[in-house]
Amino acid sequence: MIEIRDLSLRLGEFSLKGINLNIRDGEYFVILGPTGAGKTILLECVAGLHHIKKGAIFFDTADVTRLVPEERSLGYVPQDYVLFPFLNVFDNIAFGLKQRKISRVEIRERVNEIVGILGILPLLRRDTRSLSGGEKQRVALARALAPSPRTLLLDEPLSALDLRTAKSLRIELKRIHRQLGLTTIHITHDLMEALEMADRVAVIQDGCVEQVAEPEAMLFYPAGDKVADFIGSPNILDCDYCRSLGQGVMEVGCGSLKLTVAHEGAGIKKVAILPRHIYVSENRPPGLSVNGFQGLITAIEPVGNVVKISLEVAGKILMSEIPSYIFDEMDLATGKEVFIILRMRRIRVYESTR
Amino acid sequence: MFRILKGASGERVFRTATISALIILALFIIGIIVSLLAYTEWDTFISALGSSEILFAIRLSLMTATIAAVISMLIAVPVAYAISRSRFPGKDIVDSLLDLPIVVSPVALGAALLVFFNTPLGSSIDNNILKFVFSVPGIVLAQVTVISALAIRLLKSTFDSIDPRYEQVARTLGCSKPEAFFRVTLPLARDGLIASTILTWARAVGEFGATVMLAGATAMKTETLPSAIFLSLASADVEKAIAVIFILILIAVAALLIIRKTVGRRYRV
Repeated sequence: MIEIRDLSLRLGEFSLKGINLNIRDGEYFVILGPTGAGKTILLECVAGLHHIKKGAIFFDTADVTRLVPEERSLGYVPQDYVLFPFLNVFDNIAFGLKQRKISRVEIRERVNEIVGILGILPLLRRDTRSLSGGEKQRVALARALAPSPRTLLLDEPLSALDLRTAKSLRIELKRIHRQLGLTTIHITHDLMEALEMADRVAVIQDGCVEQVAEPEAMLFYPAGDKVADFIGSPNILDCDYCRSLGQGVMEVGCGSLKLTVAHEGAGIKKVAILPRHIYVSENRPPGLSVNGFQGLITAIEPVGNVVKISLEVAGKILMSEIPSYIFDEMDLATGKEVFIILRMRRIRVYESTR
Repeated sequence: MFRILKGASGERVFRTATISALIILALFIIGIIVSLLAYTEWDTFISALGSSEILFAIRLSLMTATIAAVISMLIAVPVAYAISRSRFPGKDIVDSLLDLPIVVSPVALGAALLVFFNTPLGSSIDNNILKFVFSVPGIVLAQVTVISALAIRLLKSTFDSIDPRYEQVARTLGCSKPEAFFRVTLPLARDGLIASTILTWARAVGEFGATVMLAGATAMKTETLPSAIFLSLASADVEKAIAVIFILILIAVAALLIIRKTVGRRYRV
């Protein structure tokens, strides 16, 4: 377990203010926050790269606040990998092992083992400067993992990669995490990345921990406006009224938009719908359409392999996201009237009493 | 009024002006070398080159410059690293202070050293520990004083260009601070180290002002190559002076070539 107690630090324009976090053994813990929130500094504090004056860090029960990085047994992958340019891939990966005074044969075996896990055997003799972004990331990961650390620290491991490479590395990172059972702290500014990868997420803003929660809970029950604003990319609608329709179904009104949601219990204050759960159709969908509306396309923006479509529905702007290959099959344009469906089971509700 | 300096014609005028300056400077240097070649009588040139006085000066210059360069690098590496990486109040003042020997005339530096060795502390060092005034160690000290500032400046920019995160990563991989410095920062600074060693060495070979003040220019005793030029011209022996000038040019060209060869075009000085 990693425990951060009341950690405060000022470093130039960045600062951490009274950070408290508990990271469980074997957990994939994501620290999520906008640029400049202090995420990297927090990770560097865990790595021992800053002198901490206020607060403490514990690994299990041992106070490591005063320990230098080499005494902490961590694997650290900085944001742009920082591979040693004067060493080839093999020597980069073996760097930490050579520090251990173990035999050449053992070093070779360990490098081969780790390279096997990451599938980068063909890269071993390459010059690091000739590697692609994804390859560099894997080599940096292998270098960090080679000395068998207790904890893995990843600083924005996917942000510098193209979308496809990032996606395959996401899967890879989760697989390695499962395979090695390593406590992992992963920093990102990308909500989707956090939702997809995290066992738990800590949202950090302006050097403060705003919320620690499981990803779903964080998305739909953001602790306070700061978090809600930050994760604003899902469509979150304020509700004026709600009434039960029986059988676990409620009707909620968000302005002139009336939605049917699966919910029982207290009053609903907000509903959240992820853009990818809003379907767009050119024709009126057949059959009984729950949560089916007519809307107007106000903007179309391709982002990577998806297309974001902004829709005006009953006076509200909703953001939909559809895969490019589906978009290409359709005939959508700004100003066009379309039919949209919000999938009932995907609408998350928010029983705020705040 | 400055219409001609605008648009495409302005680009042409600017290009012509800068390239002309380049050509004029190149012609100036070529002109000097050609005039030297034209002035030389090769028989006397060869005999001057083989004279015991010149051979002594070559040996002394190469030896003192090498010792001075080694000492300067040993001083400059830690100093440059400290200035590059650490933050402390008054750092700017210390930084400017270290630049002083680059800007101040070497003659003034040499004279200041001579004054120092006339103080009680200085003269007791000179009399009891090592004789500097008018002696070979004086040459080395004068050279170190002049060139170490240059070495620090060059190495500081080298260390500045190395991302401190290399060391941080090395530390998370198990290196102590000194190990991280030797295993990561020094290899990363390799080109800068080679270039600044050669440059400071070449600068030491050519050092005259401080050397002549502190160590004097006594033939067969403290006569370095630049001193030899001075002494030869003072005794109207132009042939000998030209021979030494060629030796110094040769050394300079060799130094620049070695930098190009070993460091490649990545490190331009």
